[in-house]
Amino acid sequence: MKVLSRILVLMLLCQVAFAQEIDDGDPLLNRPAERTYDIIRESGYLKVGVYENFPPYSYQVDGEPRGIDVEVGKRIAEEMGVEFKVHWIVPDESLGDDLRNNVWKGHYLAKRRLADVMMRVPYDKQYAYMQDSTGEYINEQVVLFGPYQQETWQIAFNPETLDGVDTVAKFQYHPIGVEIDTLPDFYLSSGLQGRMRDQVRHYPNVRKAFEAMREGTVSAVMGMRAEIDHELGHPENEEFRLAGNGFPGIGKQVWDVGMAIKHTHRQLGYAIEAIISEMVKSGEMQSLFSELGLRYGVPQYYREFLSDEALAKAEGQP
Amino acid sequence: MRTNKFGIRIATSALALAVSYGAHAVTDEDIMNDHKTPGDIVSYGMGTQGQRYSIIDDLNTNNVQHLQPVWAFSFGSEKMRGQESQPLIKDGVMYVTASYSRVYAIDARTGEEIWQYDARLPDGIMPCCDVVNRGVALYDDKVIFGTLDAKLVALNKDTGKPMWIKKVADYQAGYAITAAPIVVKGKVITGVSGGEFGIVGKVEAYDANTGELVWTRPTVEGHMGYVYKDGKAVEAGISGGKPGQTWPGDMWKNGGAAPWLGGTYDPDTDSLFFGTGNPAPWNSHLRPGDNLFSSSRLAIDPDDGRIKWHFQTTPHDGWDYDGVNELISFNYQENGKTIKAAATADRNGFFYVLNRENGDFIRGFPFVDKITWAEGLDPETGRPIFAEGGRPGDPSAMEGNKGEVVVAQPAFLGGKNWMPMAFSQETGLFYVPSNEWSMDIWNEPVSYKKGAAFLGAGFTIKPANEEYIGVLRAMDPKTGEEVWRYENTAPLWGGVMTTAGNLVFTGTPEGYLKAFDAKTGEELYKFNTGSGVVGTPVTWTMDGEQYVSVASGWGGAVPLWGGEVAKVVKDFNQGGMVWTFKLPKDRVASN
Repeated sequence: MKVLSRILVLMLLCQVAFAQEIDDGDPLLNRPAERTYDIIRESGYLKVGVYENFPPYSYQVDGEPRGIDVEVGKRIAEEMGVEFKVHWIVPDESLGDDLRNNVWKGHYLAKRRLADVMMRVPYDKQYAYMQDSTGEYINEQVVLFGPYQQETWQIAFNPETLDGVDTVAKFQYHPIGVEIDTLPDFYLSSGLQGRMRDQVRHYPNVRKAFEAMREGTVSAVMGMRAEIDHELGHPENEEFRLAGNGFPGIGKQVWDVGMAIKHTHRQLGYAIEAIISEMVKSGEMQSLFSELGLRYGVPQYYREFLSDEALAKAEGQP
Repeated sequence: MRTNKFGIRIATSALALAVSYGAHAVTDEDIMNDHKTPGDIVSYGMGTQGQRYSIIDDLNTNNVQHLQPVWAFSFGSEKMRGQESQPLIKDGVMYVTASYSRVYAIDARTGEEIWQYDARLPDGIMPCCDVVNRGVALYDDKVIFGTLDAKLVALNKDTGKPMWIKKVADYQAGYAITAAPIVVKGKVITGVSGGEFGIVGKVEAYDANTGELVWTRPTVEGHMGYVYKDGKAVEAGISGGKPGQTWPGDMWKNGGAAPWLGGTYDPDTDSLFFGTGNPAPWNSHLRPGDNLFSSSRLAIDPDDGRIKWHFQTTPHDGWDYDGVNELISFNYQENGKTIKAAATADRNGFFYVLNRENGDFIRGFPFVDKITWAEGLDPETGRPIFAEGGRPGDPSAMEGNKGEVVVAQPAFLGGKNWMPMAFSQETGLFYVPSNEWSMDIWNEPVSYKKGAAFLGAGFTIKPANEEYIGVLRAMDPKTGEEVWRYENTAPLWGGVMTTAGNLVFTGTPEGYLKAFDAKTGEELYKFNTGSGVVGTPVTWTMDGEQYVSVASGWGGAVPLWGGEVAKVVKDFNQGGMVWTFKLPKDRVASN
């Protein structure tokens, strides 16, 4: 009975997470609703796709969606005059899988579940126009648009065990925590001809890696800048410091993050793009990040055409 | 033994209950004798050794053309995808699973449904490895199977109501169960499927009556195994002795090696044989070393989960050559001596004959036309001799636009995938469902995961020949000779069965159940079931007649990851049925 009640509780918890979501798919044909711009306006809500359990971008606190991607999504819905509805995304093995499962086709176990717009999709023309071995465009079912942040890599360290991180070569001698199966994992496991490999400690996420740093198991943690900033904002991590090192040979040092919609919903894309563009240029995006204790990087996309003055405004400089 | 009055009373009433349904309960003895009893099929593999050989010869090469359908049964709903199940038969009832963790009890004479059980899968579940299920185990009054959310479920065989449900692993961490469990000495033995990230494979035994965990054995070097006594975990030794011998850093903590295809059991040596999956992460350059016990076969003690021996088919795997394939026990004569052997056809394209008493390598040979990643096997140890330039490149060493393309054959879907082969005691041959395909692997110039830059590998699978991909082969385990072959346009993805009637049965993605002459390979019979056959056929006798059954319903890994194979299979329709055939009594003697 105890087991049964535990299972029941587990089921209820799962339902809470997904209960915030609305099922507007077609139950008879078992396919997602075709939600164009007009239909979204009429329905009165916008379903915003964000990764679950992924602070500081998107996560839950007491059952409520939180995080920078959630805040940006709410602002978009507000500007469109509709209600914000969350669509949680369980990450698959690659971005292509996430786009298929959440933006254009639906997962084969939940075919009716699609987001109207997906957040945190890297904005990269090379990726968008990638072709397969027969010359077909791999991502032709989606439109990648609206870059709203530039993301990069960052290391935080414990000054009690390290006096600083001038270069990553330090991690030939000192253990460093990473999220498993990420670029930091691959970078540190293969860099310097594998000489840092034995010092790499794997964790399910950056939060757990910080726990390990507090316990003294690792002397540093590598992750995305916003993840590191977020962790350093917690009082229990206040003794840890940002490292100033570079990441030679890491491939992508920085990348722009935007959104994705289904390719047949371009009108929605244009509307959201206009809202985002205003938010970035006015400095509102920067202040959203700042309110959450995160540094903000203006996307490269804007850096290429904004004047120095306009860029300073986007960066929140008076 | 409890001595109080209450305990005795419970014991007595349990005994009375056992007697009342004893006539129909499946016992350990029934399971151990399954390969000798024509009237039932109570184990996956038609016998715990997994030979898939039936002693029934009513149906044979002379009369197989008279095999006729008796009934067909639809699994229903829109879940028409990937029916990889093997039916079990007991007392005129068929127990068969369907994709999405569904179980059916069907009247084997009429095809009428007795009950159906649909496992309630959690919202938001993302099973790593498709939605297939490969069958149930029977024990006592229970029908036991594994679910996509990594639970074992025991149902009452008469009502289909759950008797116990046990969580084997956390589906949110990436685990699932798709294989059929086996029952050995009152214990349900199961492995787990797992995604690439952070999982550690394990084999576990549960008390078939209560569902209580009996032992657990991790399949990655460095992890502690446990035996459970009175609900308490007792340490039972670290797999491989200690961590860090064949893995760098802390990578053994997330080493993969999921034994996702289940196992076989050999009563002669009292060993469970389980195969293990590829190591994680996929990029082999990050984990120099053999990475035990990935891509291996393990002999495990059924009483406590101890690893007796291991044989690794692909050390330091860099091609995703899972070593999960079934290890089938068989005996053969050599110089007047009986050799207790076991054979397996690996994803990597080699067929291995091992001494099943100690895991020693006896011989190995290719069972596919071409192998590019290895030049051959060391004749003493069976260890592959890696071919120069055969290993996919290190993505972090990549320069320029697209990493160098490495062509590897077989493709990662394997010379042979999950679909079980069969061994005929008549001909002494193994009948191996295999595929001829290669893969191009390269490092993606640009790749992202969960909003972050990433290093990804791209791959595409290509047919090795214009005319055919699938090849059903008769292989002689003593010589490595291919005695005959049948070539099929589409890749073969269904299991094989052979009978004393000199017949070999298998299905094709084109929808056919086919029968071949076991000695010559001549095709003697075919029947189109309406959708691709990726299940495993079985045969039994009922009311004096021989029956054959097979699940039908295209799906599985090929349509998901098939690459350029897609052009061969894209028009196949999915499905969800089980078909049953029989040879009418009056046809047995006909020619």
